[in-house]
Amino acid sequence: MEITFTINNEKRSLEVSPHQRLLDIIRKDLGLTAAKEGCGKGECGACTVLFNGEPVASCLVLAPQADGAEILTVEGLISREGELHPLQQAFLDTGAVQCGFCIPGSIMTGYRLLQDNPEPKREEVRQALAGNICRCTGYQKIVDAVQLAASRMQSGGDSSWAQDL
Amino acid sequence: MATIMFGFGYGEGFPDHSIASVEPVGENRILIRTSAADVGQGIQTVAVQIASEVLKLDPEYFEIVEGDTHTTQNAGSSSATRQTYFTGQAVKEAAEDLLGNIYHHASQEFTTNHPEMAIKDGRIFSHVNSEDEMTIWELRDRLADRGIELKGRGTFFPRTYKPDPETGQSERVYVGYSYHTQVVEVVVDTVTGQVTVEKAYSAIDAGKAINPAGVEGQVEGGTAQGLGMALMEEQVIEKGRTLNPDMSRYLVPTALDVPEVETVIVENEDTDGPFGAKGIGEPAMIATAPAIINAIYDAIGVRFYRLPVTPEKIKAALEQN
Repeated sequence: MEITFTINNEKRSLEVSPHQRLLDIIRKDLGLTAAKEGCGKGECGACTVLFNGEPVASCLVLAPQADGAEILTVEGLISREGELHPLQQAFLDTGAVQCGFCIPGSIMTGYRLLQDNPEPKREEVRQALAGNICRCTGYQKIVDAVQLAASRMQSGGDSSWAQDL
Repeated sequence: MATIMFGFGYGEGFPDHSIASVEPVGENRILIRTSAADVGQGIQTVAVQIASEVLKLDPEYFEIVEGDTHTTQNAGSSSATRQTYFTGQAVKEAAEDLLGNIYHHASQEFTTNHPEMAIKDGRIFSHVNSEDEMTIWELRDRLADRGIELKGRGTFFPRTYKPDPETGQSERVYVGYSYHTQVVEVVVDTVTGQVTVEKAYSAIDAGKAINPAGVEGQVEGGTAQGLGMALMEEQVIEKGRTLNPDMSRYLVPTALDVPEVETVIVENEDTDGPFGAKGIGEPAMIATAPAIINAIYDAIGVRFYRLPVTPEKIKAALEQN
């Protein structure tokens, strides 16, 4: 069956089979490899993308469900000029990335958190990230990164990203 | 609280070593070749920092070929807490070899002596004659015209000694030893049996922290893994089959389970590693579980000898007492 959806502000139509997962079409058909398959059971958060504005485990969404949906992945956070989103930059600046496998999911969750809560406390960041399992960083620098991005976005100069998306 | 001592590298007479090379490439790049695998611990950053320090050149200039068996030589495994020590030192020696070759050939180009020359930001210059100046890459091209390759190679191959089979003793069983002390604050809920680790303090002997943020990252991650080992992670095997092969039944600490970790880096600089650096990967996690178990003992007066200490075990122990 053919489905049409918007991903990272781009309209796409794809021929998919009913048993395919959203994660498969994002990674294999569209070649957007930021979202990772960790557990494949919706337990680890590595495949998190925004689906109609909400974070979902894309390994649990069937491709046909994406018909008409709006999807955002880490690749879509980069500005038209190719600049990293403040959240991505903050992950780099704080050393929040070690092996990096969970990071695309953690960034999408952090991105969604900052939409609702532009100045989250550390406990609030931890609460939001509780579904994104990280095996190597101990989370501390990921929390640092989300807070650093929040403060940079609050202090202005980064409103262009909000408009882009 | 718990303190551990950890011998890193394979040790025990194993012929452990690492080989690296450093060479100018392209217009203004320096290429480091090492087969050391960066699995997130940060050996690539460490290698660049070390070569950058030796060659007095900004890290931006460096590139790495990593883990390509066609173009790199053995660096050993990313295990046994050994890469910063072994590959870090191999890269340091390779960068020093390149620096020595630069001085040797540039002194001939300038017809001057080593003490009258210097290198900075990729420029080689003479203190005596200000017209004598060229970049590392210009020197490389001049030498290439004469069939000489400008390159540095380094092999770090420290001796280790087999332990005596009867006593377990030897001159030096491991190449170096790291120490780690961790203090944790825990709260034990005596109704539910739940243990919450509220705060952790870590003092790690890194010898010399090449990348302090990386050391912190390893300590924070190690604390999370040690916490999992102490309180939640339990593979249940029955007749050879794992009964809990997923993250809803084999529990790994989440952002809500792991405390804030305050890391203190202790720098003893007492090894043959690069600038005195030691490995800290494994020691970063080893102290956590005993520290937590000791803190639980301090809180409720019960000693646990089998991990993980789940809420069920705490409840059962409290009911027995």
